[in-house]
Amino acid sequence: MSGVLDIPIIARGKVIMPGDDAVIYKGRGGADFRQADPHKHIHDLVLGDTSRLRDLHDTPMAEIIAVLAELGKRLVLADNPLLQESFQLALQAGGLAEPILRGVYDALPHMFAAEGMAALVEKTIGTKYIDGWVPSGGDYDTVSIRAIGTRQLHITAGNVPVVAAMTIARAGLTKSDILIKSPSNDPLTANAIARTLIDIAPDHPVTRHIAVAYWKGGDEYMDQQIVRTSRIDKITAWGGMSSVRHIQKFLTPGIDLTALNPKYSMSMVGRETFASEAVMDECAIGLATLAGFYNQTACANTRIVYVESATDDESIERVVQLGRKMLAAYATLPPLLSVPFIARNRELEAEMAAVALEDDFYHVEGDTLHGGFIVSKFNDRVEFFDKLNNRVVNFVPVDDLGDVIKWCDDTTQTVGLYPEERRAGLLDAFALAGVQRLVSLSGGDPLTVYANSHHMPPGSPHDGIEPMRRSVRWVVDMRPAHHAAHLSVAAE
Amino acid sequence: MAISLLPDHPAAWTYRSWEELMSIPREEREKLQLEAMQIQFRRLRDRIPALKKLADRQGVDAIDRIEDILPVCFDHRVLKNYPIQIIENRDFAKLTNWLDKLTAHDLTRIDLTGLKTIEEWLGRLEAFGMLVTYSSGTTGKLSFVPRSKDELGPWKFHFFNVNYAASGVDAWTTKLPTFFPGYRGGYQTMLKMMSLFNVEMAGGEEHYHTLYDTHIPADLMALSGRLQAAEDKGEVAALGLDPALLEQRQQMLAQGRSKDGDLDDWFTGLIERYRGQRVKIGGTFSDLYRVARAGLDRGVRCAFAPGSIISGGGGMKGYKDAPDDWEDQIKAFFGVDFMGNQYGFSECIGNAPLAEDGFFYLPPYSVPLLMGPDGEALPREGVQTGRLVLVDLIPQSYWGGFTSGDEVTIHWDDEDTETGWRAPRIAKSIRRIGENEGGEDKITCAGSQQAYNEFMEFVAGEA
Repeated sequence: MSGVLDIPIIARGKVIMPGDDAVIYKGRGGADFRQADPHKHIHDLVLGDTSRLRDLHDTPMAEIIAVLAELGKRLVLADNPLLQESFQLALQAGGLAEPILRGVYDALPHMFAAEGMAALVEKTIGTKYIDGWVPSGGDYDTVSIRAIGTRQLHITAGNVPVVAAMTIARAGLTKSDILIKSPSNDPLTANAIARTLIDIAPDHPVTRHIAVAYWKGGDEYMDQQIVRTSRIDKITAWGGMSSVRHIQKFLTPGIDLTALNPKYSMSMVGRETFASEAVMDECAIGLATLAGFYNQTACANTRIVYVESATDDESIERVVQLGRKMLAAYATLPPLLSVPFIARNRELEAEMAAVALEDDFYHVEGDTLHGGFIVSKFNDRVEFFDKLNNRVVNFVPVDDLGDVIKWCDDTTQTVGLYPEERRAGLLDAFALAGVQRLVSLSGGDPLTVYANSHHMPPGSPHDGIEPMRRSVRWVVDMRPAHHAAHLSVAAE
Repeated sequence: MAISLLPDHPAAWTYRSWEELMSIPREEREKLQLEAMQIQFRRLRDRIPALKKLADRQGVDAIDRIEDILPVCFDHRVLKNYPIQIIENRDFAKLTNWLDKLTAHDLTRIDLTGLKTIEEWLGRLEAFGMLVTYSSGTTGKLSFVPRSKDELGPWKFHFFNVNYAASGVDAWTTKLPTFFPGYRGGYQTMLKMMSLFNVEMAGGEEHYHTLYDTHIPADLMALSGRLQAAEDKGEVAALGLDPALLEQRQQMLAQGRSKDGDLDDWFTGLIERYRGQRVKIGGTFSDLYRVARAGLDRGVRCAFAPGSIISGGGGMKGYKDAPDDWEDQIKAFFGVDFMGNQYGFSECIGNAPLAEDGFFYLPPYSVPLLMGPDGEALPREGVQTGRLVLVDLIPQSYWGGFTSGDEVTIHWDDEDTETGWRAPRIAKSIRRIGENEGGEDKITCAGSQQAYNEFMEFVAGEA
């Protein structure tokens, strides 16, 4: 792709192509794009009048699921030119290799499967609560509760394009009005999905409550205009502290922020791993899978491995062996999960080279093309742990897996564990420390490990919270109490 | 007429005048630099353990062209590639062992008994003959420059020279009372240079005025991050630090909170006392701007004698939303026309003065190279932008080749410069590689710096 790509603003069923007022945004690898100036389209983006949510409010959930399921069927990369365009741009601008990104796109229709969406609503909200007022029963039968849709701003993450699809599905499933601020490393996926929806159901209430636009992060004018209690009820912010902090400047009581902060993930390996070559092999495949899937671009990817091991030369050598087995296992991962990089990560390689000179403290192997590892010869991670990428992992010896707790907090998302026998002794302590998901390194085969760490039922918590449940407003309807009670009060 | 310099003793080049150093034709200069580099590399290659390891790994045994030096230059991180744990544990044996690999001096002979703090350790090294200083980056981790007293003389000569070049004042003969709105003493590189050189340039201790008469101990600098984290968790006691050090930390924090007011009071006193005299004002530009702004707001202006100078540094880091004319405001408040500036980094002795034409000129004992995005040497011709690598030819006891974290633009052609100085010159547009580059558009769920940097590059349209 060369030159400047025209990207429309999606405004509740309308497609606004860039005209004379267009603004050009810089993109990675020359993937610049042009869009109508969002400053001039504030009213197309926000919903000031809440009564206009009535159409969606009155639409039964079954009907919403039906239209979203129909949308899902159209999200087949081979047949959808809009999606093909966004795929090309995401490939150019994002961090995922072609086979992995293709796999992600191929999974889009599945995300809109009717059965899964119905289960999601039922689990997180309760279908009857979103479709009507639900009496509380018994003595409280005059008190009814209903989940009411809200007006939401979503600042989405672009490193994995499923976020865009998930956000659009959740909008309909919560009967909410959403504005998606696209990320610059995936400016088009949300756009393409919304336009596909316009094509199949231009007047459907779901379609008429989705807006998508790009503006530069930190654009104070936009944030001032949008983040007002008269225009937005809820904000979901993916990504880093700076985006959350920036948005917080405009938060006032009445706007609820769900901050999906950046997360860090790790694995921990018990001393049982060194019992035999076969056991080490199984563990190494688990590590390669959790470190390697999506080429280590996701928050759930392992970047540090804490290993129960002493720090004498012989023990460190066994950890190095485990690292070598992990490197070898990278080569066995299916391309759908992980592939070698085509460009080096110079910054990380400089870090690796600098510690490689210090062999009293570190052992370094591999590179940023095929993956690598750094073994700390003492009980601490490397200081550049937050730069670990390109399938490069830091192995850190610890005396006891319980010691790993000191490196865990609310930013620790996923922890991979080996072997399974250790789980019961660790689970609650790690949950208290802030860890959000404890998964398994066992299985001995990449697809099994991947499936075991990813296949959760619809409506499972994300980063320790239930975003769907949180994005509706829970409203109470209290009618006069029963007749008898009323009379007894009057007689006093 | 070109001067005669010996390639086997580049440290002695610093004894020549700035004009002489800036008059060597390019061909002659580069021949001399290459020869000096060859001799230096041959001498130190197997003597500095870390250099030997790097050179072995890269398979470099000899230098035929200036570019050949690139693979054996230390990444700047090498000066802090020890585990932070050994600082936390104050394991001075390991720390000394680590430093020993960076110097030709035999540090295993140092008696380490009784050491409790990093400050004491640095003092013990100094008594042994080292002049180790430290700097701390954004992470707080200390980089130690393995300098020794072997370098002291040439370091001083260069320093007087470069200050002359940057200000026109010859500090050997003209002593200017100096104001520096910061700390005093200690081993932080800039503060150590102050004790070693600036005080003498001012005419003695009584003519060198600092805002504080103490400094932040290296121990507090090194542990600031961990201390904060430990404080949050209520685990400061578990760090096992000297209570006096913790007490000092509280004082420093209090000092920081009242700094703006203190700065203003302190300067107001000096402005009165030195009215009509010729002075030198140092400090970071952001501090100088704070003082200037506060003064201008009150309608105050200084009345120092003509020929007074400002010698600043550090850009406007630490001051948000500075106006475009901040330089003019500083000049207007202090009543000083001349603002000197220098560019360099603490790993290298030979830093570069800012000339009137807006370029930093490198002295011949600092040999620059530029590195492209793939680690390749960029042509040493025309105008080039890349990562700056400097080979400092002065040090005799450690290896002076370093790859910086700065992206700079070098103008190589030296024949028709406005200053008449013949040297590669660096433009003022210097960028820290990986520094936050505009926008706050966060887009990834992975909490890794790399993902963040990539995003920032993308936003800036540079990737």
